[in-house]
Amino acid sequence: MLLLQLLASGIQTGLIYALTAAGFALIFGATRIFHVAHGATFALAGYAFLETAVAGVPWPLACLVSLVVAVGFGLFMDAFVYRPILRHEGSFFTVFVAAFGMVVVVQSVLELAFGRSFVSYSSTLTRATAVLPGLYLAPIFWVIIAVTAAILLLTGVFLGRSRAGIGLRALSENPELLRAFGLSARRLSALAIALGSALAVPGAVLMAATSGLQPSIGPHVMLISLAASIVGGIGSLRGAVAAGVLLGVTESLVVSILDTQWSESAGFVLLFGFILFRPRGLLGQPVPR
Amino acid sequence: MTAYLLNLATLSAIFGILAVSLNMLVGYAGIFSMAHAVFFGLGAYAGAQIALQVIPDVLLAAIVAALFAAACSLCLALPALRVRGEYFVAASLGLQMLASTAFSQAQALTGGIGGLVGIPPPMLLGLDVSSAPAFLVVCLAFLALCLIGIRLLMRGSFGRSLMALRDSESAARAFGKDVAQLKTQAVAVGCAMAGLAGALFAFQEAFVNVESFTLEQSILVLAMVIIGGVGTLAGPLIGAVLLLLLPAGLSFLPFIPPTDIGSVQQLIYGLAMTLLMIFRPAGLAGRSVGQR
Amino acid sequence: MTALLTLNGLSKRFGGLTAVQGLDMELHEGVITALVGPNGAGKTTLFNLVTGNLTPDAGEVTLAGRTITGMAPHRVARLGIARSFQDLRLFTHMSVRDNVLASIERRAWLWQARGGSARRDATEAALERTGLLSLGRARAVDLSYAEAKFLSLARIMATGARIWLLDEPASGLDPASRRRFTALLRAAVAKGVTICLIEHNLDIVTEIADRIAFLDQGRKLAEGDPASIMRNPELRAIYFGERRE
Repeated sequence: MLLLQLLASGIQTGLIYALTAAGFALIFGATRIFHVAHGATFALAGYAFLETAVAGVPWPLACLVSLVVAVGFGLFMDAFVYRPILRHEGSFFTVFVAAFGMVVVVQSVLELAFGRSFVSYSSTLTRATAVLPGLYLAPIFWVIIAVTAAILLLTGVFLGRSRAGIGLRALSENPELLRAFGLSARRLSALAIALGSALAVPGAVLMAATSGLQPSIGPHVMLISLAASIVGGIGSLRGAVAAGVLLGVTESLVVSILDTQWSESAGFVLLFGFILFRPRGLLGQPVPR
Repeated sequence: MTAYLLNLATLSAIFGILAVSLNMLVGYAGIFSMAHAVFFGLGAYAGAQIALQVIPDVLLAAIVAALFAAACSLCLALPALRVRGEYFVAASLGLQMLASTAFSQAQALTGGIGGLVGIPPPMLLGLDVSSAPAFLVVCLAFLALCLIGIRLLMRGSFGRSLMALRDSESAARAFGKDVAQLKTQAVAVGCAMAGLAGALFAFQEAFVNVESFTLEQSILVLAMVIIGGVGTLAGPLIGAVLLLLLPAGLSFLPFIPPTDIGSVQQLIYGLAMTLLMIFRPAGLAGRSVGQR
Repeated sequence: MTALLTLNGLSKRFGGLTAVQGLDMELHEGVITALVGPNGAGKTTLFNLVTGNLTPDAGEVTLAGRTITGMAPHRVARLGIARSFQDLRLFTHMSVRDNVLASIERRAWLWQARGGSARRDATEAALERTGLLSLGRARAVDLSYAEAKFLSLARIMATGARIWLLDEPASGLDPASRRRFTALLRAAVAKGVTICLIEHNLDIVTEIADRIAFLDQGRKLAEGDPASIMRNPELRAIYFGERRE
């Protein structure tokens, strides 16, 4: 039963990772920007939800605040960090360092504002009850599954059907094509970042409501989404989702064999192995060397 | 006060070595490692174990630490040969996370979370160099050796080959450069120096634990290199001194509570990294980062 | 006359696309051969197959009787095959002099003690002949277009390679520079260097080349002296037909 319990909590974390990694993969796939500040988006979204909800704002409204903060931060990064650097043709490393700097900044601002310790938001949704003998699940487990499925489905439909969605896919593959369709590459990449950042919100809210938040969640989520999008195959949304779940489950199951300390590292063993032996990931295209 | 300044100077020398060696990877070889603290840590543990188990001789500890770190640098060279760009950065981040866990778990070798304590005072070939000024001189001497070594290497055919590789890997290949051999050597040399710095650090602190070898430390060293200026000899040194002086300087500001100094320091160097990349990607004293 | 470099039934596909198909060709010592053909004819792919940047699906490359098929690029280079790139690929942030020097230093162990002065001499000689001596300390990225083209050639000259593969070496040069460039190639060939070059401008081709190989869609359609190839109406139709689109 312990194994089942671990599997359940692995899936729960995995789905949160999947949502976040999907956002990261969407942004990287469309814009080729290695948006490591996605972790900062996640942390900001989580804290925005938590602080407003704790202040007594009804939760749907708190979610909205969180969404505004996340998208706002993403667009801010695009307009004031990425655009200026890419305008003078900075290398990928310049972009990476700038984004990484913002991860550090956001973490320290959160520390200064809300302290370094864990904060969480509890409600009746998060109280676990025995579903089976020995298997405790909180109702939020089902909420997470439903929310993840719904959002990924919506994103998939949007990317597959809508004009802007098709434009986003063309952005990475064939920027020439965009001009033919009369779409602006600049606006589309802003759209990709806004959309990707929005995808961090449900994960952040759910994590605030389940395991809680601390300022260092930003770098942590950044590492996980990076790992998931590489293990899944860079640019592949489906791959990122699958890898997110895989990472969550691995992290959780490792606890049954090794010390809990190893749980976070398990994901990185996976990442390291994939980079060495299958850099294209689960579902990605071959990597140009 | 003097003791405080001496300590700061010694740490500057040690972190100077660390930053200069990372700069060799980032600035000359185009290997963007986020795992430099790992090799700093490997050297620190190796040096500490030599001091604890064999003899507290700085030279011996430094040599063993450097060799050990160089041997382990294959973990970094392997992904550097397989992938590049974002993938390599991700691989090095993964290595850093793995190593942090390994450091805190390998109780027998690293003392686990508690670390290795009671490292005896340093000797140098039988001489007692444990006093603060003496050890500062030792560290400065090692720093000077590393600087001279890097300058010689970078002025010579090895440095030219590395820079050629950084500017155009395919052209370097077309002119007969063995990319695998070059990158492996560059990583080994850079990591060996990080290991050496680690051994000095172990003596200086008389205590090592995993806290000093985490991702935060790797980021700090990278920030030193970036802020000082990538691809220059003096830049990383300037960066190291600046970032070490920062917490000291902040502690003089009365309106910052002591518990927040760490966060404020992070805030400042994080902001500095981002702003520099936007407005002056060359750093305070240098050329642009990783241009192709 | 035996060939220095022989391509035998060379083929390469990318996914469903055939880049080079069953190609036979010989390069002879002291001869300048031009590869001519419409875009996508497989000319640059051919270079990449010879230099080891790509591995052929079928066929063989032999250098003076020794097979070099599938050898790593740096090993091919060390056997005396030097190449230039259409986009030059200079070592942009290094000085002009270091660009040349770095191109002839092969054994990069941490120290390379022997032969330093010989390499310096070769570097100075190459800089002098290409007229770049006064720019020795300038960074490659700061050079003019023509200077960059000459630097690209200087790197190859200094290596002392027996075979030069040049990808559009003279395109975009003004007539005076082009004459200087051609003279350098002629001088090299007189000393026994073998040159194969890709060129779109047919004026340049007739000016420089001793032989022309006409490629289309990965196949060699014809090979011969420039005059006879240029007169062939079918080839002209393919070439100019493609170009006009």
